[in-house]
Amino acid sequence: MLLVVTYSRAARGTLRNVCRTHEAVVVRRFGRVALFAETEFAAFQALRLREKHGGDVQIERTRPFNEFEAVDRSVREAAAAYESRDQPALPYSAFADGTDHPDPDQLRNSEL
Amino acid sequence: MTESGAVTVRVDGERQTGRAVDLRAKSLEPAMVAAAVREESAALDGPDRSGYESSEAEPTGTAFESPATERIDPDHSSLSIDCRAPGTVYDHVGCIEPSMGLRVRTALAAAARSRGGETPHDQDLERIAGELADLTVPAPPDLQGPRERVAGTDAAVDRIRERVAALRGRVQAGRDAGRDVSDLEAELAQATRELSERETERAAAREALERAERLARESRDARERRRRLEDRRANLQRSARAHLLERISDEFEHAVDLVPGGVDEGAPEDPFAVDAVTAALAVGRVARVDAPLVLACERFETPESAAGWLDAPVIAV
Repeated sequence: MLLVVTYSRAARGTLRNVCRTHEAVVVRRFGRVALFAETEFAAFQALRLREKHGGDVQIERTRPFNEFEAVDRSVREAAAAYESRDQPALPYSAFADGTDHPDPDQLRNSEL
Repeated sequence: MTESGAVTVRVDGERQTGRAVDLRAKSLEPAMVAAAVREESAALDGPDRSGYESSEAEPTGTAFESPATERIDPDHSSLSIDCRAPGTVYDHVGCIEPSMGLRVRTALAAAARSRGGETPHDQDLERIAGELADLTVPAPPDLQGPRERVAGTDAAVDRIRERVAALRGRVQAGRDAGRDVSDLEAELAQATRELSERETERAAAREALERAERLARESRDARERRRRLEDRRANLQRSARAHLLERISDEFEHAVDLVPGGVDEGAPEDPFAVDAVTAALAVGRVARVDAPLVLACERFETPESAAGWLDAPVIAV
């Protein structure tokens, strides 16, 4: 999908108008940010917005996140295990210490 | 500047002075006369803001401003007006004519300000104005150039890599079959060089794009700060306006009832929904106006009676 972020009141206003006028383009809008469908028409609308507001509009392309492709089983399991921990106040680093769960620094330094 | 509120107008070699100047015989363009009142302060800032009404969603924008040349009538370029400086309220009701548009609440808030009205939000507004003035927003870097440069580099590398692989295969097969492969080897060497060039090119292009994106992030951080401040300012302005309106709206309603040729007797009219001329005259009456209001409406017997009713200098056109 296309992620459209606006950085000024005027650009946000135009984004709102685009979203109102072209509902089919918009997958979801969050205030000054919107996700557009992956079509050339949506890209056209996003580009038009950037043409009008320049640096106040950022367009990125997102891709679906599949945790079974993007990360190892250990990461998925650690997330599940940590969320069902007994002590709510326990930080993850302490939780992972001495277990098979991945170390937070190791996670930080591994790109997807 | 002459005595309090008096206006001196020079047009076509004639000179008129007073609180009520009658230029009706000159058939001047009202907007042009109001522009002459503003002259230095805002030559480009025309009084016809009819398009402004529905523009909440997208403020600013040059679309509503027609070029100055359209407004300055060459036949009357000799017009000069000596008067007190117009205040903010003049932007709203400086030129009162049937085709005008008016954001009544905004105009009325400006009228309250013209009388020295203050609000509990003024200090915050001033602070935010200062913060906005101090905020520097770095110009966005050119991202399009680097993006264009990166585009296609992957495909180019893949293409040449496939070619290298294919050539390798053919060289190997030729050797295995005992054929002369020197031409193929030369071709392979050439392709291998090209692959390395393409890869270098791609790496450089990617690095340039990453650099530009880092700069873009800095620019966006500043833009985001500015946007937050502007949102906050808009909220405060709304609150300030509400505060000002609350204190002046009774007086305004009363003035609306009194506008000559305005609201019909006994009509249960919303004072904020009356026609623009009536509303503008009522705003003019409750405001303190030092610069002459340009009137192109037939509501008063004489310019003098208009000036008296409005308690403001007047130029009738």
